[in-house]
Amino acid sequence: MTRFQRFATVLLGLVTTPAAANGFDMDVPTLVEQAADAGIDHRYTGPWEYFVGGGAAAFDCNGDRLPDLAVAGGTEPAAIFVNRSATAGKLRFEEKADAIPEPVRERVTGFYPLDIDNDGVRDLVALRVGENVILKGGPDCTFEDASRAFAFDGGRAWTTAFAATFEPDLAFPSLAFGNYVDRSAPGSPWGTCHDNVLIRPSGTEGPDYSEQTVLTPGYCALSMLFTDWNRSGEPALRITNDRQYYREGEEQLWRVSPGRPPRPYRSSDGWRRVQIWGMGIAEADLDADGYPEYALTSMGDTKLQTLDDEADHDRPVYRDIAYDRNATAHRPYAGDDLKPSTGWHAEFSDFNNDGRLDLFIAKGNVEQMPDFAAYDPDNLLLGRYDGTFDEAGEAAGIALPRRGRGAAVADFNMDGMLDLAVVNRGEPLSLFRNTGGETASGTRPMGNWLQIELSQKGANRNAVGATILVKSGNETRTRKIQIGGGHASGSAGFVHVGTGVAERAEIRIQWPDGEWSAPFRVFANNFVVIEKGADEAMYWYPPGE
Amino acid sequence: MVKRFSVVLVCSLITSTTAAGEPAWTERAILEHVDQEKLSGALSSEALHDLIAQGEVLFSAKFTDLDGAGRPMATQAIIPTKRKRPTDKEFHRTAGLDANSCASCHNQPVIGGAGDFTVNVFVSEGFANADFDTTDPQFSNERNTNHLMGAGLVELLAREMTADLHAIRRDALRKARANGEPVSARLVTKGVDFGALTAMPDGIVDLEEINGVDTDLVIRPFSQKGVMTSLRQFTVNAMNHHHGMQAAERFGARWTGEDDFDADGNPVELTEGDISALVAWQATLPPPKVSEPADSAWKEAAATGSILFDEIGCANCHRRALPLKSLVFADPGPLDAAGTLRQGEVAGISYDLGLLDWAAALEKDEDGNYLVPLFGDLKRYVMADRQVAALSNELLGQRFVERNVFQTTELWGVGSSAPYGHRGDFTTLDGIIRAHGGDARAARDAYLERADGERSALIAFLKTLEIKE
Repeated sequence: MTRFQRFATVLLGLVTTPAAANGFDMDVPTLVEQAADAGIDHRYTGPWEYFVGGGAAAFDCNGDRLPDLAVAGGTEPAAIFVNRSATAGKLRFEEKADAIPEPVRERVTGFYPLDIDNDGVRDLVALRVGENVILKGGPDCTFEDASRAFAFDGGRAWTTAFAATFEPDLAFPSLAFGNYVDRSAPGSPWGTCHDNVLIRPSGTEGPDYSEQTVLTPGYCALSMLFTDWNRSGEPALRITNDRQYYREGEEQLWRVSPGRPPRPYRSSDGWRRVQIWGMGIAEADLDADGYPEYALTSMGDTKLQTLDDEADHDRPVYRDIAYDRNATAHRPYAGDDLKPSTGWHAEFSDFNNDGRLDLFIAKGNVEQMPDFAAYDPDNLLLGRYDGTFDEAGEAAGIALPRRGRGAAVADFNMDGMLDLAVVNRGEPLSLFRNTGGETASGTRPMGNWLQIELSQKGANRNAVGATILVKSGNETRTRKIQIGGGHASGSAGFVHVGTGVAERAEIRIQWPDGEWSAPFRVFANNFVVIEKGADEAMYWYPPGE
Repeated sequence: MVKRFSVVLVCSLITSTTAAGEPAWTERAILEHVDQEKLSGALSSEALHDLIAQGEVLFSAKFTDLDGAGRPMATQAIIPTKRKRPTDKEFHRTAGLDANSCASCHNQPVIGGAGDFTVNVFVSEGFANADFDTTDPQFSNERNTNHLMGAGLVELLAREMTADLHAIRRDALRKARANGEPVSARLVTKGVDFGALTAMPDGIVDLEEINGVDTDLVIRPFSQKGVMTSLRQFTVNAMNHHHGMQAAERFGARWTGEDDFDADGNPVELTEGDISALVAWQATLPPPKVSEPADSAWKEAAATGSILFDEIGCANCHRRALPLKSLVFADPGPLDAAGTLRQGEVAGISYDLGLLDWAAALEKDEDGNYLVPLFGDLKRYVMADRQVAALSNELLGQRFVERNVFQTTELWGVGSSAPYGHRGDFTTLDGIIRAHGGDARAARDAYLERADGERSALIAFLKTLEIKE
């Protein structure tokens, strides 16, 4: 026995392992609801037309890079809340009462932010029951109705979905609007889904959206997303539809080839008929193979689709892996109500910064549907090391008795941890501050993170359509810059990437024109700003840092 | 001199079986783990010395399979990474395991000291794409073993310098935001100039002119490249790399989803407390000293060499001392990232290095700062050029640092830590001085221009920078 071993005999103490206060291996983020304290009192209300919708947009509207909030109100006025949160402090917002022109505030179902006219300021597309409106962003979170200036006819449909993409050789984005039930059609609402539209821009001086292409048939779209499903560099339009009202409808994927009329993929192309109460789409490349997976919310099972082995470059054959991944989220995880859930907004994000994507799903009964759960808390499915998910909504603190609809996931107080705003039907907006990983005695810091902002000159300032690869060790994490998806809710700004225990990473960008950047070397726990053509990435620091 | 072992306590409790119920002839090296939950707040001298003793046990331990040595299904990568297939050999000179014990390399002239060429290690920045079963040296850089003496003081200096740089950045940003105009600021801390930054009114910082430090302005004082933030981070890395002893704070289920990430059958190999003990032992190692030779000729030559050291520019980078405000060492420290235990994750401890006997010998400046005689500046430089390229012999950059760039080697202890150079390629001090190129070329040339006697005097001086046995 060595003297060291002899000494070791007197060492006291028990083997300890890291705190796991809640039965989870990984960190469970502590999400503290503080909307009222933060200065937000907002509801999404209204009759049948507002059973759906209820969106929110998180984006910077005053140039300080902090995400502000635009929130639909249905029959209540939509509102802009300017972010006044202190860095790493409590969340605080100020409503900017006159931000949106008065006539536009009413009947809003959702918002999507994007810079349409390439002036460096994000504009806002307001989806409405009735005329949709393009709101041109101005200084200090002011917006003006630019529909006329952009020759945009907002129509009269009941609009519930939106997506945008920048097509090659077009100076401005192409806009897709998804519509719900045509209330004026005979026999409405059953089998009377409104067509959807794709509007390509013309003109070079300013956007001209006077020419619309009808996407028919429409099957009561509740979410749509331009997605490069086959790595062709040519995004197709994925639409999720509500079987509640269509007849013989299905989920849809439209080819949108530049300069050509859109065309839906059909069964002869390998497209398999899926009929769900489609409410929301979230995209993520969960296995970093370049081919995205899609979460589709519905009543009952959530779908998680991945390309099947039978798929080919132009054969979009998908299979559902939600059950295998423990991601069906088909009924409430808390309470005694065992009836099926009703899912709405879906979004993949890394809430605990462990480097694995989590899936948030807003849940809530349509109104009083007796065959579906009345108490139906939102889901926080934490991604596990093996690719499956664990439900942590209750442990995280988001299991509120509210009827969720749209949502916005963003780091509102710039502390590196994603916060969450959930729009609730008939009930107050929930604003959750992420305060860190739950422990028996409070919270602790979670994993490392990066937040990345892209920019380029000319058209498409915010690089919509770009792919971001973040590589640490053997792991590559992928993000896309997209406008669309979710449920009537879109966000824009810093793209958040949890990096787990990696303290540094190499970032590569595939810009929307297909050009790959050189690798940018960055340290974790920083806000990174990358401009196309730059040799080095830059760091941005929030106020007070 | 405080004993590093509590001899009385040890002797009084030696029994024929261990506290863990193991027989006296056990092949386990770790009989009891250190419990982090029992460590909190400012440690008393007694508690500190207990923790140091536990750390020395671990540093000197020859880990066995029973402790968790080996990592059949994990690579040496600092980010937990699975092997593609189990390794067929436990030990492996390049990919590791390459040592049975920390002390098997860090042992010259004392435990915690440096190592000969025979104990060079291989750092594998190219791990991302390499199959870790390979023995091909193209996937690694070979490095000589550094000594750890005075390491706590080095980390404290780096923390203070980082705080200074961050304060400069914060102040520049505040002014730029307030005035709506770009603000440039020199990044100078403790007299060391790390270039400049420019803060923009919108909160973006232009880092094009920074020099010798990472872009996040964190001084990482450890390793030949200056890429490791703390003793704690380095310890967690090294324990996995060299011994296959995986620390729970990085390889545990929290980050990997598995209790036994390396699949060697040992779910708990090193606790947070074990790492804290190892950190305490390393952080409290006495710093090397400038010795006074008994030989009068050596003494006289060393005095001449000391003057020459300054005259020819050695001291521009190998600064004789850097001022340190506080000797209080917090563990975990303020700068580590996830995967190394951080403040806010545990109660944390702090200990005053002033409790150690050796601290009394630290000189102070007129402002009351402790003068840490490290003969370094914790800054990175280009160390090779077209004519003098011997130190540009690595195949790979490491952790964003180019292959010919290294952090200034602290010369304290250089008289006891041959061979020299990042790979241990140089058997003499004269040899390594002659190999200085790039940013150090002027000093090297000045050395060569001196007469033989003066060069010999400089060596005489460097030989007085000893690690005491």
